[in-house]
Amino acid sequence: MRVTGRTMRRRLVLLLLCLVTAIGGLIVRLGIVQGVQAPWLKQQADDLHSRTIPVEGVRGTIYDTNGKTLVYTATAPGVMAIPAQVTDKPAAAQQIARILGMQPDKVLQRLRLRQSSVWVTTGSMRLTAEQETKLRNLHLPGIYITDRGTRAYPYGSLAASVLGITGSDNQGLTGIEKQYDSILRGGRGYITLNTNAKGQKVPGTGEQSQPAPPGDDVELTIDAVIQQFVEREVEAAVAEYNPDHVTAIVEDPKTGAILAMANYPSFNPADWRNYPPATYNHNLAIWQTFEPGSTFKIVTLSAALQENQVKLNDQFFDPGYYEVAGHKIRCWKAGGHGSESFLNVVENSCNPGFIALGERLGKETLFSYIKKFGFGAKTGIDLPGEGTGILFNLKNVGPLELATTAFGQGVSVTPIQQVMAMGAIANGGVLMKPHVLKAVRNHETGQIVETVQPQAVRRVISASTDAQVRQALESVVAQGSGSNAYLPGYRVAGKTGTAQVAVNGHYASGHYIVSFIGMAPANDPKLVAYVAIDYPRPKQGVIFGGVIAAPIVGRILYDSLNYLGVPPSNDGIPKKYKWGDTVNLPVPNFVGMTYADAQRAAIQSSGMWRAAVSGQGKYVVAQSPAPGTALAPNSTVRLYLGDTPPQTQG
Amino acid sequence: MLARRIQVDWVIMAATIVLLCIGLVMVHSASTVLSAQNFGDPFYYAKRQLMWAGLGTIAMIWMANLDYHRLRAWAPKLVIAAFAFLAIVLIPGVGRNVNGSQAWLGVGSFGIQPSEFAKLALILFLAHYLADAQDRIESFWRGFLPPLAMALVAISLIMLEPDLGQSVVIAGTAAVLLVAAGARWRHMFGLVAAGLAGFAVLVAMAPYRITRVVAFLDPWKDPLGSGYQVIQSLYALGSGGLLGLGLGNSQQKFLYLPEPQTDFIFSIIGEELGLLGTVTVLLLFAVLIWRGFRTAILAKDTFGCLLAAGITGMIAVQVLINVGVVTGSMPATGVTLPFISFGGSSLTLMLTGVGILLNISRQSVDWVA
Repeated sequence: MRVTGRTMRRRLVLLLLCLVTAIGGLIVRLGIVQGVQAPWLKQQADDLHSRTIPVEGVRGTIYDTNGKTLVYTATAPGVMAIPAQVTDKPAAAQQIARILGMQPDKVLQRLRLRQSSVWVTTGSMRLTAEQETKLRNLHLPGIYITDRGTRAYPYGSLAASVLGITGSDNQGLTGIEKQYDSILRGGRGYITLNTNAKGQKVPGTGEQSQPAPPGDDVELTIDAVIQQFVEREVEAAVAEYNPDHVTAIVEDPKTGAILAMANYPSFNPADWRNYPPATYNHNLAIWQTFEPGSTFKIVTLSAALQENQVKLNDQFFDPGYYEVAGHKIRCWKAGGHGSESFLNVVENSCNPGFIALGERLGKETLFSYIKKFGFGAKTGIDLPGEGTGILFNLKNVGPLELATTAFGQGVSVTPIQQVMAMGAIANGGVLMKPHVLKAVRNHETGQIVETVQPQAVRRVISASTDAQVRQALESVVAQGSGSNAYLPGYRVAGKTGTAQVAVNGHYASGHYIVSFIGMAPANDPKLVAYVAIDYPRPKQGVIFGGVIAAPIVGRILYDSLNYLGVPPSNDGIPKKYKWGDTVNLPVPNFVGMTYADAQRAAIQSSGMWRAAVSGQGKYVVAQSPAPGTALAPNSTVRLYLGDTPPQTQG
Repeated sequence: MLARRIQVDWVIMAATIVLLCIGLVMVHSASTVLSAQNFGDPFYYAKRQLMWAGLGTIAMIWMANLDYHRLRAWAPKLVIAAFAFLAIVLIPGVGRNVNGSQAWLGVGSFGIQPSEFAKLALILFLAHYLADAQDRIESFWRGFLPPLAMALVAISLIMLEPDLGQSVVIAGTAAVLLVAAGARWRHMFGLVAAGLAGFAVLVAMAPYRITRVVAFLDPWKDPLGSGYQVIQSLYALGSGGLLGLGLGNSQQKFLYLPEPQTDFIFSIIGEELGLLGTVTVLLLFAVLIWRGFRTAILAKDTFGCLLAAGITGMIAVQVLINVGVVTGSMPATGVTLPFISFGGSSLTLMLTGVGILLNISRQSVDWVA
């Protein structure tokens, strides 16, 4: 018996068909989602589930020329953030800052950086186990604790301005670290984790990782031992003279390799943030430009000899000045050097003699040699931030400009340019390109990837001219400032330089940059060394130029040659002078000069004397011993000061 | 006695038990992360679901052995009680608010949803009423409107909670009953037209409603807002592919998918068991619906017929809405998947319903059709 009517049965069958059709429709829909769209949806879902943490490979080590480690990467746990994954940045910053004892603002600032990953902690921060546990327990999405590499400096601040510094993300900012960042920098790797919606690792799931390859190591031409000699001398000079800046460079003239480079003020690269930016931003040895002063006379001499405009034994008369275009340009020595050979002109650093050489060469020729020696252009050293210096535009060079350029005024050059020019003299007349990188090595195997070959820029003067220049420069040392007291057994050739610093277009009284550039051994130079002291403030008030820079270079050369095993030699001794003798020089006349002029004359003289000042006043009224007295090195010259100039002048 | 026992529809029974077992396993799998995180016990949800399943099975067996005609006498009282509970739950401080819906009564972790109870009570009442009203069902005022009004009262009370999902299920179930009872198509289409007009008025009042309704068409327009749940659900289904990631291997249950053990459990089934699992579940439901309507057709009397159609219709409507939402085929509304989703009230009432269905099948006249 069927109670349900026909209508109801029809309706029920219809409803059943509708509902089953709808279920069929859902099965089709599922087929599309789980079949056709599945690969795409699965990819999207995997991207959502996995968190990729970038890992950076270890930054390469920096070695000195003998394989001593100058900088390496030490690893310590650090806090890393992937900003895109950090959901509530202000809250996360608050919590992290509280645990680490940092400023919440600073943490937030890092978290807001639009980078794929950032370090929250600085390289020098060390997480304690407690901090690490607390941070892990916060389970903050996008915040990770991973090992981070920190640059470590076994030699402290040694060669800091060469090595340079790295930033908070281990990127090179200055020096070698910046120059060879792409070599030193580790490759990119990653670790992929499965995480839940809060960014926490899903327990029991594995990690996929792509290991980050380490960066390559670099080996420098810097020799840590020579660098230490140089820095010791720089520190001693700072203690003695309280200068503004000191710069020192040691170069191998045959290859252009820089063996040492130091600046004062220096900094500790591990802690550079606590130093004034000027100390780590500029490498004075390649950046600072100033008038070279007398060291530039080497260029004029070389050009004149190469162009056959002079022979060293030609005679010259210096009346104490040289008239150029109606102006009397005075020699640093009051009264002049009188009759002398051109060798004496070089020895005495006699300005009128060099003005004469400049006039004989003419501006085109002199300037072409200046440029050939590498001035007015970057040397191309492999360090960032090199200066160019300034030369007169040839169009604007009149007789006066030609004259001053010939003895090193009115041009501005960098220390490295002077070193390389002197290096050309030391290298038989061929200018080399300076370099600090010696080789690139694989971090793991130590195998050499790349070796830097010495690079000659050009021949500047012939070998025979070069031999004459070196002889003259050796004579300068022998006859002038280079006393046996400083380099027994080694033949040194070199030149002092004194430049007055122009402030607002005027030469400032008392502000000098005193320099010495030397090479040794003179017959076959192995080293070129340069020291410049900016604004020495001697305790006595007056200083003789030869006393300051030359002995520093002497000590650097002596220690370095000894260390390098270069045998002392007594061959080729100049006639007038025997190594081991004391050389007595005549005392200049200071009487009647203002105190400032006396100071300048003393600093430019090549005497090796101590100075003592008595009384007060603007003028030198008397001196002891009397002018012209031949005086042994290390004697004292006493100057008496008064307010009025003495009436009688000799 | 023996003859009557044999007449129980074992297919319905078997399909229900299989779905219940799948549900128990999947509730546990889907909820481990959430239970471990919120309660420190990965079996928190699974234990409770097991308890409710036991209680529901007892209710099912009880109902299967209780002559459904005895329920008919209770129908008016039950529906009044249900409406009373729906009103009580709205009183602030009495009803509990979960996820923005004032839908729960009870203390501690044991909550009861009056709306679940109301669904069954309403089906019982409508079957009772419509069985009596066969002769006047074609009349709008005396046959069609009174049951509609009852359904609208229930829907209105539930919309005050608010619980859109339960309202839609009740509307759908009532529609199934009205159609089965022989309501005029004119009245049915008029009802649909009135519903569309009402919606049009709502959209005219606040145009953002239309964007919300059609948001499911392109969930990637607002992946972190209105589209979030659907996208996460599709990720789960897509990740599962044809054969699934394997039981327990869901990724989306790691807090990506909201409510993985209740409204979105079907996504987790799809992720862990693949298309194979989802189609199996849907086919089990299809079998259940087929046997349910078969029971209705073969029922001893009109009341039994309508009661069976109402219960089956309720199951069918919930399956269609739940899977429709999970697959991004319709606008999002929160509806549980019968026998599978976590939830005591839902599970117990569903099993009770199946018990009634089984009793109707036992009393059917000729089950060879």
